[in-house]
Amino acid sequence: MNATNTIKSKDMPVYLSIVVPLHNEEESVEKLLAGILEVTEQFDFAYEIIFVDDGSQDNTWTIIEQLKETTPRLKAIKFRRNYGQTSAMVAGFDHAQGRIIVTMDGDLQNDPSDIPLLLEKMEQGYDIVSGWRKNRKDHFSRVLPSRIANAIISLTTGVRLHDYGCSLKAYRSQCIKPLNAYGEMHRFFPALASMTGARITEVPVNHSARKYGVSKYGFERILKVFSDIFAMNLIIRFSSTPLKGFTFSSIPFFLMTVFFGILAVLSWNFQWTSGKTLFFFIAMALSGMAVVHLITLGVLGELVVGTSDLSHTKLARYNKIMMKKRDDQGFENNHKDAEGQSPDLNMLYDKVKTN
Amino acid sequence: MKYSIIVLLEIEEMYKGSVQFIENLYGLFYDRNEPFEILVVANGIGEFLKNELMVLLNCHDTVKALEFNARTTQAVCLKAALKETNGKIVVVCGSYQQITNDSLIKLVDNIDDEIDIATPWRQHRVDSALNQFQSKLFNALVRRLTSSTYHDTSCTVKVFRREVLENVEIYGNMYRFLPILADQKGFKTKEIKCEHYQQHGKSTYYGLTHYINIFIDIFTLYFNIWFTRKPLRFFSAIGVILSFIGLFIASYVLIQKFFLGYSIGNRPLLLLAIFFMVLGIQAASAGLLGEIIAFTHGRNRKEYTVEKII
Repeated sequence: MNATNTIKSKDMPVYLSIVVPLHNEEESVEKLLAGILEVTEQFDFAYEIIFVDDGSQDNTWTIIEQLKETTPRLKAIKFRRNYGQTSAMVAGFDHAQGRIIVTMDGDLQNDPSDIPLLLEKMEQGYDIVSGWRKNRKDHFSRVLPSRIANAIISLTTGVRLHDYGCSLKAYRSQCIKPLNAYGEMHRFFPALASMTGARITEVPVNHSARKYGVSKYGFERILKVFSDIFAMNLIIRFSSTPLKGFTFSSIPFFLMTVFFGILAVLSWNFQWTSGKTLFFFIAMALSGMAVVHLITLGVLGELVVGTSDLSHTKLARYNKIMMKKRDDQGFENNHKDAEGQSPDLNMLYDKVKTN
Repeated sequence: MKYSIIVLLEIEEMYKGSVQFIENLYGLFYDRNEPFEILVVANGIGEFLKNELMVLLNCHDTVKALEFNARTTQAVCLKAALKETNGKIVVVCGSYQQITNDSLIKLVDNIDDEIDIATPWRQHRVDSALNQFQSKLFNALVRRLTSSTYHDTSCTVKVFRREVLENVEIYGNMYRFLPILADQKGFKTKEIKCEHYQQHGKSTYYGLTHYINIFIDIFTLYFNIWFTRKPLRFFSAIGVILSFIGLFIASYVLIQKFFLGYSIGNRPLLLLAIFFMVLGIQAASAGLLGEIIAFTHGRNRKEYTVEKII
């Protein structure tokens, strides 16, 4: 029944897309492709490799063009300028046809031979499998902030992973494609996807030290990551239930309103406090304004989220269908919007529909 | 078609110059022996100019015209003009001659494989000292806020490769900042020193509203360039600063109350502290709403621009 593992044909829909963002990696790109091909040639399903050149200033693109001639499977996207890893990954997702998308680093620090491990986990029914660089080969000064960041992300987002920063991850395409990622969000893909009910797990993967090029990290970067964590938490929390979030944040101001209101009444009617009544009234009005403002924004937010196609209720319904299918068919799962589904699945969908 | 020359016809007082200018452009590109077309976009012009234009249209068949019934913005004119033309290189001009013919040719020639946009920097300006001063000040401000390097954004004459105009979204009066926005999308721009040309000797003074409008445009540009994809950063920075001022004042007052035993119940300073905190939270929450909108609705606005796919 599992079509992907029994038929080998070029005409069949792409099952796996490997997305690699590259930025000034002229030394490693050739080895990288060779390494990936070595692993993928053993696959008996259709796959594609997508290189995204993120505005490299060196010869990365010319090398990719040469590689394309010998490896027709390779797809390459060239950005007009450097947009960052997240954008490069998103571009890869946008052009990927596979039902499963694997992302990895372009600097040879991830080992392509871990890809089958990730796929194995996917077959067990997970929607996102994250790599965990259990033995990181980086300098302590990089590992420590990363550890702290991981702990904070893990605690605040409720998605328990050891290593959010690891680029080697596998996603089910329908879980990652609808995400509207920008800025420096790639670290938060699992957390963002978990909002829509994706099942997430991790596997330990190999990690080797950087051989070529310079690492693109620094102190500034660490600051950025931490402010990102803060922002992403707000976004994740507020974009699922904006009214709730805004109402909760208005509570301190509500308390202030009540407090000053009571003081105002006391000083006006009973002369129990030494302060002036007018003062308390103005203070009450100010904090009351904040309450009204926040709740209004919450209502607006509810409107905004409700009219978007990232509505959480919709995605939750998809999940139900997926679960039902899993019972029928083991690990296979895909929803109707996903590209590259096999004929069997289409039939199954008709069944689901007619029921 | 190699060249499309788009003439944005706007200012009515310049009518005589406009027709001469278009004739001049025609001659200039006719001599280059390459296929070209001229599209005149008439944006709310008067009867006289319309008649003149009709005469012009009857003379040359490569000159076309578009007319907007109601006055609209440059961005709309440009979008319409782009739809009606198909030249690979688009030369955009205002309604009168701003740079000399030689300079214009130089601009056009500068578009090659590397350069996508050529924008002029008018040298030896012949308009009034006040205008020059205003222009300098304005451009310095733009450079500062957008960290770009352009010295003369207000000149309407600019030469683009067609894909630039197709890929960079502009609206309102953002046309003058198009090179800056295109830079953000990864297009290559070159600023070229040009000779200023002024036919009439009479130069227009811009009123106060003009500058207020431009100032709002600069702010829009600033926000667009730095913060549209992350409004939370922008507003929460403001919010945090305001809240901190509020907290600072509040702690000052509270210290007075608890350690020095002053009565603070009627101190305006406490009110000010509350005011700042409320203001801060309002700014931050507006940013949060902006972020929610960007996150849930910004999917079609891709952050990246693709140059090539193989």
